[in-house]
Amino acid sequence: MKWNSRIRCALVCLAFTALFSAFSFRLVYLQMIKHDEYAGLAAEKHVYKQAIYAERGSILDANNEVLAHNTPVETVVADATHLNNRESLIPLLRDALEIPAGELSEKLEGDRRYIVLKREVPESVAVALKERLRTQNLRGIYFERDSTRIYPNGSMLCHVIGFTDFEHRGIQGVESSMEEYLHGQDGYRYIEHNRAGQEIVIYRGQERTPRNGYQVHLTIDLNLQNIVENEIDAAMREYTPQKATIILMRPQTGEILAMANRPHFDLNQRSEAKPEQMKNRAIIDMMEPGSTFKIVCAAAALNEHKVRPDTTIFCENGLWNFGGRPLHDHKAYADLSVRDILVKSSNIGAAKLAISVGDQKFYEYIRRFGFGERTGIELPGEIGGVIRPPQSWSKISITRIPMGHEVGVTPLQMTSAMATIANGGKLVTPRIVRSITTEDGKTVSTFSPVVLRQVISPETAAQIGNALRGVVSDRGTAAAAAVPGFTISGKTGTAQKVDPKGGYERGKYVVSFSGYLPSEHPEFVGLVVLDDAHTTKPELNYGGLVAGPIFSRIAEKAARYLDLEPHEEVGKPSVAGRVALTNASRR
Amino acid sequence: MHAPRRKAFNSVNAASLARWIVITAFLALTGLIYVYLSLQLYHLGDRKKTLENELTSLRAQNDVASVQIAALTSRSAMQRRLKEGYLKMIPVSEHNIVRLSAPSGPRGEDAVQPVANKRAGR
Repeated sequence: MKWNSRIRCALVCLAFTALFSAFSFRLVYLQMIKHDEYAGLAAEKHVYKQAIYAERGSILDANNEVLAHNTPVETVVADATHLNNRESLIPLLRDALEIPAGELSEKLEGDRRYIVLKREVPESVAVALKERLRTQNLRGIYFERDSTRIYPNGSMLCHVIGFTDFEHRGIQGVESSMEEYLHGQDGYRYIEHNRAGQEIVIYRGQERTPRNGYQVHLTIDLNLQNIVENEIDAAMREYTPQKATIILMRPQTGEILAMANRPHFDLNQRSEAKPEQMKNRAIIDMMEPGSTFKIVCAAAALNEHKVRPDTTIFCENGLWNFGGRPLHDHKAYADLSVRDILVKSSNIGAAKLAISVGDQKFYEYIRRFGFGERTGIELPGEIGGVIRPPQSWSKISITRIPMGHEVGVTPLQMTSAMATIANGGKLVTPRIVRSITTEDGKTVSTFSPVVLRQVISPETAAQIGNALRGVVSDRGTAAAAAVPGFTISGKTGTAQKVDPKGGYERGKYVVSFSGYLPSEHPEFVGLVVLDDAHTTKPELNYGGLVAGPIFSRIAEKAARYLDLEPHEEVGKPSVAGRVALTNASRR
Repeated sequence: MHAPRRKAFNSVNAASLARWIVITAFLALTGLIYVYLSLQLYHLGDRKKTLENELTSLRAQNDVASVQIAALTSRSAMQRRLKEGYLKMIPVSEHNIVRLSAPSGPRGEDAVQPVANKRAGR
């Protein structure tokens, strides 16, 4: 019996020992071996990573005028499980958020915990709503801080600035191309909540402050942009073209001073814009440039020393059969100097210049002028155009390409080519971003001019420039582009519109004028392109008569704004002779 | 014969008692200070949160004001006001313009007016 009781005692002790040993082992296992895992799981239940959103950077013009900015808004969300009085809540929300009551009832049905009621609610509306919810003791409605993009100038410069989506990612224009600078870096903070969902500040954990987006300064001058926008609007009213593009560029640096396209849209009401209105036609539209392209063949022939400016070329009296196909001039010319080929815009003369250079060499010059490749401007979606290699040219291509047929170029490429002439033969990459700074003005990055190559010698560029001065004279095709007091070099273009089904559309033309001012020390290069302009008489639909005067008005106002000193010895070109001359035929 | 009767008292060790009182008081004070400081921390945390909210709200108001300024002083707004007649522009007369370089020569009777393209103008 005594033995039995001892055994029983021992057994009980042993059992307790085993039990507490097991507990001890379990405790050690949980507290030491599995500590990190369970501590992590516990933290997940009450520790939250709160995102602190960075503010998107602003976009400014060359004079620090704001083009794109942020404004604080709030997203109103509901947690259906927290709603305490739906009947009172719905009329309140209906009035404040201007959402139909039916839609609200539908949204607040069930027990979903995250229901977005309305985005981009202005700060003032949100503050008033919060106050009314508080006074009526209504629960379950929460406000998330957000911001939206505001474009103070509405539709002005819309294709260049672009816009963002609702997640604040740039999807067009500079908003897209400069996304990495504008976006900034979101911060975060580890926080703990109490039972009421309020943050317990003393348990705030690791924190990283957000870095707001950088400010992007464009090369665009809003004063010049305004001049261009007014003129393009006037042109749209007067000629009702299908599309229009105007570009102003500083040739020495490649800075784009102004860029406007039509049709366009209001950046603050972008959801209503049609895709056609959103295209930046200066960089994504391909056109046959027409006679403005003659500067390329003339430059090639002069640079290769095949001809001199005063070399005369027989222009076949207006009709030349080459490769079994006739090539016409708008007027019968016999002998024309190389200079006059540009001044009179002779197709036959230009074709003969290209032939003197040869297929391969001519193609090389086209490419050297930057055609057939993207210019590299800081805008998304740019196309390179279409320049076929000589292997795929037809027999007559060498006579058609010099007059701007059989090639597809963008308006920006054409501007850049003209800038090459203005810039002593140097091809400079066009650019639209001048610098990137922090909010407090500290420079992060500066975009310097990039000279891609010396396309032609400075002498050749000067010779072409001199010839182009003649274009904007009583003898030339663009007398209406003149600005009294200044010498202008430029070239007109009138190309029949390419039919997407093949061939050309009858009676529809793309008229253009590209030039620079002043000829001696160019301050800016301009291009005006109107696609399918409507004139009172079809015979008035020429680059010199439609695009030329638009350029003149822009150049005059721009010169005044830039305070360029006029050379008063330059006389006014006569108007009478000009109209008769330009009406003769297409050039 | 008998020893004088003395009342039996439990002896109190005053020094020890004092020591315990001090220790207890110290512990109590420490506890109170701990609780007080903890409450202060919570209170300061709440103050911090309130100030952060106020700061955020002020920043938001500042941003709203900046946007309004940008909108009201934008080129489009100015042009609208110009059209409405709210603003008026007076051209600067020639004699008020100071040029760095003087005009090249005397202007003749039929000389060209600098940068005034009346012909091409609308």
